[in-house]
Amino acid sequence: MNMHNPLQLIARLAFAFPVAFILSSCTTTEIDEFRQSATDIAFDESIVILGRRQNNNYETEESFVQCVGDVVSRGQGAISVVNEGEFLDAMFPFFEPRTAPMRTGHLEQLMAVDVAAEKLEEFGIEYIVWLDGITERSDQSGSISCTIGPGGGGCFGFGTWTDDSNFEAEIWDIDTMTSVGSISTESNGQSYMPAVVIPIPLIARVEANACSGLGGQLKQFINGT
Amino acid sequence: MMNFDRAIKTGYQSAAKIALVAIVLLLSACAATTIDISGTFPAPLIQKLPLTVGVFYDPAFTNHSFIEINDNTGDDEYIINSGSSQIELFNTMLPAVFQNVIELDSIESANARSDLDAVFVPAIEEFQVGLPQKTRLNVYEIWVKYNMRLAGSNGDYIADWVMTAYGKSPEETFQSVDDGVNDAANVALRDLAASFTLGFSDIPEVNDWLRVQNALGE
Repeated sequence: MNMHNPLQLIARLAFAFPVAFILSSCTTTEIDEFRQSATDIAFDESIVILGRRQNNNYETEESFVQCVGDVVSRGQGAISVVNEGEFLDAMFPFFEPRTAPMRTGHLEQLMAVDVAAEKLEEFGIEYIVWLDGITERSDQSGSISCTIGPGGGGCFGFGTWTDDSNFEAEIWDIDTMTSVGSISTESNGQSYMPAVVIPIPLIARVEANACSGLGGQLKQFINGT
Repeated sequence: MMNFDRAIKTGYQSAAKIALVAIVLLLSACAATTIDISGTFPAPLIQKLPLTVGVFYDPAFTNHSFIEINDNTGDDEYIINSGSSQIELFNTMLPAVFQNVIELDSIESANARSDLDAVFVPAIEEFQVGLPQKTRLNVYEIWVKYNMRLAGSNGDYIADWVMTAYGKSPEETFQSVDDGVNDAANVALRDLAASFTLGFSDIPEVNDWLRVQNALGE
């Protein structure tokens, strides 16, 4: 009978966890901010974060928009964020992919429509944040094969890939109907999947890092700090 | 001898049952998947036109169904039923565009009504679906070409125009084809509602007619 020595097992785990931690932490995030005007927001004012969905090849994921909204609306300096879906339904049909304002000039035209301007006023929205971007996977290599038989099953192999997140947030001031600045984030990281009997996913949290980085910076930007 | 016959009979019956189950399983494996598009649509936030319009939904529109063929076998792969969602959309959209909307049982019934300013008849001319497994893109896509017809209550021609709607939905892990197609169809229907509500008055023939009706306001 082949029993593992408990000390051997502890030693293996002690080696595996730091390696797993180091490998899964291989993510770098770069954030750039470009400010055109001063900003501030009162406690009774809100912002709305909207994903751009005009591109043919991709569309900004709803989950990423939600994630950035969660970061902005929590913690120190939290800002009230209107839910994207609720806003799009209430403002229908002015912010649909085909009809959404692409430039601040279009926002001026929209504000000339009484029903639209009144609804924006009702929401108490001070800034509209347009999020545009995507997370792409590249450099996938390696292979993992799994087998199953009467005596059990298991996997063996190694896989790796790179994730790249590129997002840009453009901030529009509703009062002045101008763009007050933009924040861009670029995050990338390598994920690994070694498989010895069971696959062990060591996932680089690329999009999560892009979200927290962008959300935190956006909160500071709008608060004017 | 009696027992032997009974045994043969029982054997045949069992074999027939097994064959029946096998045929049912085989047929169900080959059967097309039916996708019923469902969704809710927000009422457009626009100024209503002071008009009473009758709307007639042709049975081809009400029961609209699109069949996606499997390229390899030539069999029906997906049956996409969008009729009820189309009706849901138009029944939400039209009352937001016109002051009064009356659903008609037939186009002819409009002649008997003196309260109608016009009769509106939507129709689907083309319906296309893009599935990730076929297009190699990681999105579900729906494209619909509509023909919109507006006539006087006496049947006189006012306008006839084509509109297209497009919707896409990103493919997600563990997402079923049904959900992907449904999401894309809902985006397409919203797209149609957005362009219809904002563009209706700008269609040249419609615009001319609205001016005659004095319905455009200031």
